[in-house]
Amino acid sequence: MKIEVSLFGAFRDFEPDALVALEIPAASRVSDLRRALSAHGSAHWVGFKQGLMERSAFASATCILRDHEPLPEGERIVVLPPVGGG
Amino acid sequence: MDGFRGVVVDVAHDRVDPATALEFVSDPGFGGFAMFVGRVRDLNQGRVVTGVSYDIFDELALVTFEEIARRAQVQFGPRVRIYVAHAKGRLNVGDVAVVVAAGTPHRGEAFGACRQLIEGVKHGSPIWKQEHYQDGSSEWSEGCSLCETQHEDVGVRPHAGHAHG
Repeated sequence: MKIEVSLFGAFRDFEPDALVALEIPAASRVSDLRRALSAHGSAHWVGFKQGLMERSAFASATCILRDHEPLPEGERIVVLPPVGGG
Repeated sequence: MDGFRGVVVDVAHDRVDPATALEFVSDPGFGGFAMFVGRVRDLNQGRVVTGVSYDIFDELALVTFEEIARRAQVQFGPRVRIYVAHAKGRLNVGDVAVVVAAGTPHRGEAFGACRQLIEGVKHGSPIWKQEHYQDGSSEWSEGCSLCETQHEDVGVRPHAGHAHG
């Protein structure tokens, strides 16, 4: 299935429109998306480091998604690099 | 949620206003108010800062602010009134980036709630800071990983071994 991931923070530097589309198997879990995005970053993003991916979380508009969870269908998915407001 | 207001402020159209926060948390029965105001400073780790851009995932940030406030009301009492506002967009040195405020009957709860709120906003909310330096370069600040915790929900988290201002 095709999934679009919205990018924030440091990830914005890699994609001007802050969005990346990935093809992953149906019924994938968050960990599958993590692997797919990591592979995409390694292949296409200049300066991408695996450490950033390892410290990033995934989320819907309402909650953090843990790696073991199935990807919610029909919801916006975002990748959240380490946060730091204030 | 009663007694709570959370706001993401796009600085292209508005500004974060401490007076609004104080007004919201006020109540005739309250004698204690505490507020944290965070402004953009001109120096960080020896580098001259000319401005900061804040990126925010608005939808989740507002959910997170409410969760942080709910926890504060659980800990400090249901009467606590809470205001949280964070700026989004490019700010100059001296601009207000964040305001959290708590109003309570007595000062102890106000100080405690205010401290808990700002820690939650800084370390557990989907907000990112990009500093702009005098030499023309920019860098995203190191932050707290939201996946380095066993908590299953959003909200206050311990920060993950990095320096903070």
